[in-house]
Amino acid sequence: MFAVLCVPAFALQAILRVEPALAGKPLALLVPGRRGQVIEECNELAIAEGVSPGYSAPRAQARCPGIILRPRQPDLESDARDTLLAAAFGITAYVESTAPGICTLGLEQLAAARHLPALQHTLAQLAGLGLPASAGLATTPLLALYAARHAPPGQVLPGDRAFLAPLPVAAAEPSPELAPVLASWGIHTLGQLTALAKADVAQRLGREGLALWERAAGETTRPLDVTCPAQEFTARFDCEHELETLEPLLFILRRSVDRLALELANAHQAALAIDLALDLADDAQYRQSLRLPEPVTSADILFRALQAHLETVRTTAGITGVRLRLEAGRITVRQQGLFDGGLRDPHGFADTLARVTALVGAGRAGRPVPADTHQPDVFSLVAPPPTLQPLSAGFSLPPCGLPLRRHRPPTPARVALAEARPAYVSAAGVEGNVTTAIGPWLGSGHWWEAGRCWHQEEWDVELAGGGLYRLAHLPRQGWFVEGEYD
Amino acid sequence: MLSGPTSSLSALRQLLATRFPTAAHGRAAPLVTGLPGIDELTGGLPRPALTEMVCAAPSCGSQLFLGQLLAVTRAEAWRLALVDAGDAFAPDSWPPAHLEHLVWIRARDAAEAMAAADLLARDANFALLALDLRHAPRAQLRRIPSTSWYRLQRALEPTTLATVVLTPFPLVPSAHLRFELNSSHASDALEQARPTLAVRLCPALLRQRHGDLAATG
Repeated sequence: MFAVLCVPAFALQAILRVEPALAGKPLALLVPGRRGQVIEECNELAIAEGVSPGYSAPRAQARCPGIILRPRQPDLESDARDTLLAAAFGITAYVESTAPGICTLGLEQLAAARHLPALQHTLAQLAGLGLPASAGLATTPLLALYAARHAPPGQVLPGDRAFLAPLPVAAAEPSPELAPVLASWGIHTLGQLTALAKADVAQRLGREGLALWERAAGETTRPLDVTCPAQEFTARFDCEHELETLEPLLFILRRSVDRLALELANAHQAALAIDLALDLADDAQYRQSLRLPEPVTSADILFRALQAHLETVRTTAGITGVRLRLEAGRITVRQQGLFDGGLRDPHGFADTLARVTALVGAGRAGRPVPADTHQPDVFSLVAPPPTLQPLSAGFSLPPCGLPLRRHRPPTPARVALAEARPAYVSAAGVEGNVTTAIGPWLGSGHWWEAGRCWHQEEWDVELAGGGLYRLAHLPRQGWFVEGEYD
Repeated sequence: MLSGPTSSLSALRQLLATRFPTAAHGRAAPLVTGLPGIDELTGGLPRPALTEMVCAAPSCGSQLFLGQLLAVTRAEAWRLALVDAGDAFAPDSWPPAHLEHLVWIRARDAAEAMAAADLLARDANFALLALDLRHAPRAQLRRIPSTSWYRLQRALEPTTLATVVLTPFPLVPSAHLRFELNSSHASDALEQARPTLAVRLCPALLRQRHGDLAATG
């Protein structure tokens, strides 16, 4: 058995996928002709207004003043073709890219009972991806194609001889020379043509007539020119106009991500990272590689990761092109340790962190790691680990007194000294006589590196009104309140 | 006006909520802090609910309290999110092992801290959310609308997240528990073992709500 998936008005549909606002308007596709631009395809609304393929652009506009004329967009058509193929590969590995918007599937390896449900599922999937299609199911590729072309959108039409009989002769695509001959004989349907003896048709119309008769009977069969599934998971989109806001960019990315997720699933692989490149109008390019917390095939999760990242991005100019590449790998299957502190929802965690980072700014969210130095307040923020190992036995709080709450940056202070010890402190929010002063604690470092040398004198003080503070004295800058012991 | 059966049902729900405050909402067990001053009074930090810790005096031990929460959650291999509106957390005051499970958010102001807390409260990966507003200017804190606190409370309800808000004065209208730390430590605290200091922390319980927060609050 063979099946054919058919997307009518494919080139137009490829445009409508990314510009859904055009859906309710008369729309036509222009291609260069011998005498200027002519219409190659138009939608039903344009046809209803009297526009037909072959019309020149002015003629179409005269018939339908509101018609929207668009040139062909090869990138969009290529993406739509890849989407159609990806959906087809979800049914079988024997897929032929027959023509733009048409692919033929060999269903020998699929149980007969699953033919119809699988095709219906794929049609629903394609509709969700912005490619409304129809399908035909028959014993030959040709019969399946006839059926697909005449099936209502979103439905599967089984093709048989009875179905063929009332179809017009044009369905078998006769040559311009043969069509008027048949019409003069009064033969208008495939049924009327196949009612004639095959040998008689061959005798009168020659080899071409014989081929037409065989096509009309749906007998022609052929091996499929099988296409290879995607090996690289990439998407590319060049914008007709510069994109200046996030919404249209996300809309385009969603379409591409849906297709790439489908291709990944067909290849039984998962995305490990997303490489995103944005071409900018000032000839610059923004590039970012987003490593995912766990391998993933879900389009929703991939899209969320992109969205959370893009919300933090500000480009220097409008976006003229988008390149997306998924780094694929095997889906990891791992059993979590009984006492591991793993994440319940790793993608949700990454998503939350990305959103919080977008809110507070880069470098202001993460796990703090103190630097290996005695210099005060030097640390870095790194990504939290995916799992937390249990602590070793006997772990307890370190015996080091009250922890510090830092004033960041340190608050400048005026300090009065008595016998070389702080006796009075005055700073924003901190003021009073010093009842106890412990120190000085001297610290210095990086004296061997110009520009990084530091030296300070620290005092721990208790104020008469309550409160324990750390004061720091820097040789050239004076006194500061570094923080409060709390 | 409620009809007869509806009002009876409502009364029954109220009675059950009063008698069995935890069971009424299917709440998770409280998060035990390891501090006798809190655990003996309330059983720990309720989940999912807001607990407010008012830090009314300087050096009152609020950072010590936060450190105890860090230690408890680390021992259980739970994740802790700290939203720090004053950017005051000092990583070098803690051993690195205590910080492995910590996600520290350095917010610039109170509004940013509230927005970050709202995002984090919806993440199922955290066991504890600490919102530190002590260093935020009082004017900023007063500008936080009370609806924001109820929104945060609502965000917590479907989770098992314990949330602690550290404030300089009573601020959180939807707080399930409100404690106050009101005595400053003396300079001898700088020499004492931190576990000893932590165990001695004894915040005063200012508020404890039972039952449905929406109904009471």
